[in-house]
Amino acid sequence: MRTKMATPSPAGPRTWLPGTLMVVPAVVLAAFVVIGGMVTALAQSLGLFPLVGPPSLTVAAYGAHAADLPVGIALSLAIATVSTVVACVVGFSAALIIVQGKWCGKLVAALGTLTIPVPHIVGAASISLLLADSGLLARLFNNGGQWPELVGGPWWIGVVAEYGWKESAFVALVVTGTLATRAVSYDETAALLGAGRLRRLRHILIPLSLPALTVSATIVFVYSLGSYEVAWLLGRAYPEPLPVMALRLFNAATLTSRPEAAAVAILTTVLSMAAVAASLAYLRRSALWR
Amino acid sequence: MRRFGTGLTRRAPHSTRRRRFSTLMAGVGAALLALSACSAPAPAQQDFASWDQVVADAQGQTVRLWMYGGEEQGNAYVDKTLIPAAARLGVTLQRVPVADTKDALNRVLTEVQAGTRDGTVDLVWVNGDNFGTGQQAGAWSCGWTDLLPNMGLTNPADPLLANDFGTPVDGCEAPWHKAQFTIAYNSATVTDPPHTLAGLLDWAQEHPGRFTYPAPPDFTGSVFTREVLNSVSGGYQNVPLQYDQKAFDRLTPALYSRLKELAPALWRQGKTYPKTSAELNALYAGGQVDFTMTYGPAELTKLVADGTYPAATQVLTLTEGTVGNASFLAMPATSGHQAGAMVVANLALSPEQQAAKADSRVWGQFTVLDTAKLDPAQRALFAKLPQSPVVPSYEVLSQNASPELSAAWVPALDDAWRRLVLTGR
Repeated sequence: MRTKMATPSPAGPRTWLPGTLMVVPAVVLAAFVVIGGMVTALAQSLGLFPLVGPPSLTVAAYGAHAADLPVGIALSLAIATVSTVVACVVGFSAALIIVQGKWCGKLVAALGTLTIPVPHIVGAASISLLLADSGLLARLFNNGGQWPELVGGPWWIGVVAEYGWKESAFVALVVTGTLATRAVSYDETAALLGAGRLRRLRHILIPLSLPALTVSATIVFVYSLGSYEVAWLLGRAYPEPLPVMALRLFNAATLTSRPEAAAVAILTTVLSMAAVAASLAYLRRSALWR
Repeated sequence: MRRFGTGLTRRAPHSTRRRRFSTLMAGVGAALLALSACSAPAPAQQDFASWDQVVADAQGQTVRLWMYGGEEQGNAYVDKTLIPAAARLGVTLQRVPVADTKDALNRVLTEVQAGTRDGTVDLVWVNGDNFGTGQQAGAWSCGWTDLLPNMGLTNPADPLLANDFGTPVDGCEAPWHKAQFTIAYNSATVTDPPHTLAGLLDWAQEHPGRFTYPAPPDFTGSVFTREVLNSVSGGYQNVPLQYDQKAFDRLTPALYSRLKELAPALWRQGKTYPKTSAELNALYAGGQVDFTMTYGPAELTKLVADGTYPAATQVLTLTEGTVGNASFLAMPATSGHQAGAMVVANLALSPEQQAAKADSRVWGQFTVLDTAKLDPAQRALFAKLPQSPVVPSYEVLSQNASPELSAAWVPALDDAWRRLVLTGR
């Protein structure tokens, strides 16, 4: 993905090579951590790095939590899907407002830029202080009545709200970049030819931002599928999304549970890679992806 | 790219994101696998002939103390009292806060696995199953506490100091403080406080939604289930300290059926539980529940004084007593600053530090020293400590105290709780 984007498409073979070379240090560094971590996790899940006892090749760790895994997979996918949809809808709308360029567009752009550097864990803690049973809003507005179960409730609303808030800012900035560079001229031309707002949205803005939207949606989906801190802080004790389950097993005082944690992590990775593969396959078929 | 800033990500499972893997890099991964496969043997232990040699070696060393960071008073005590005192002895002490002691243990285990000899962990505030697990994996440096001069002020026959949740201490960790499991309640809303644990469970059932406990494996929630086990078994005398499967099968059905029966009357109908004791404390502070529980009763005094907890907070004294334990400073075998760590452990055991720490305005942790072995001046340090309006003295709290079950009980009870009580609903 990076290599492709770093290579300007109209360039000839001569400029292609140095461009790739310049990207190599970053790719090597990232790959060392990412692939190294994955290979270690895979080996650990197969029983090759036990904390005690001799190593032996086994897939027992993958079956140890067979009953909890389907629930965990379904929950993780559901949280990631809903968060991605929320982030894309909110982020795309925000991008449209930003591109308008009026004062409210500048305000939305400023809010989005401020949101990006906030770490997810800080965001999750803030959501918890705001929305939890003993949180700020509950204390302000809840005079003895039943406060809705937003944090730690059955619908994981706090988790989706946090991902939706943080990631919509990310989607907004990515899509704004595309709209500002690619879409404005088409949009103005269409407007001069008499196209109304809805028609321009349907025939120009949405199609032109679709590749950027797909890429950012994939990133959001894979991130919310694989990260644990938000779901751990704002979720409930049971059922657990896969990363939370992996972390609990990894931290368990039982020495044999580390391979099981690695197995859950590998499973999460496979799901993430499948999502990325599906998204790339979709992008390749899209006419706008060059 | 933009999100690898949080310190917590490094503990995340290795699910990897947002990067496409070039096939070229597979070779790097293979090389890494080969590297980690031939990890070094377990690190060796340093030998010291005398305490003077330890003190001499410790000069200029930096000691990193990993400890649970959720107790503000504990953090303040270490930062404002222990660190300056260590500096006067020529040792730079650094406090590394962790969300759970298991994080520190995991770091040590990873370092043991990697064969590190100059690890990032020099001391860990630890006890119970974390100590026991580390002991199984050979993570601790052992036999060093005899060298500490201040160990002479403790009672070697004290059962709390000789065994840590049933695991013999064997000089692998130096005692730091004693604790007593304590349940607190709001006497403004609970007008008829129960006096036994069974009575407490009945009270919870009569007042739906006003009681809950943290979900094990949270430390506090886990202790609570062991208290209930003692209660439904007719007293701690009936529960063997050493774990065995037969006793587990005989005793625990009553435990889990009682907890399942209780669940619908808990906060949120027992469909979920606070995941940590901090969450339970927040619920108590916000008036959502009427009881909270802690293994560090000392914190109650300050929390009531600063208005976090209701002013009417009282300690619930149970006629059958509660579980007590001691906690320790353990030194990982991977530590590269063992002399410095020993100097800090000895300093933490000194009467001056123990008395400062026992002050409820500072931290309020109960001392591990044997008052009979102190000289009059040292005893006076403890005698002049103020009495807390909320927390009774250690003598009152520890009346009829029961010992902790062996560490092997803990994961077995926690797992079964998860299976039978949490997922059963």
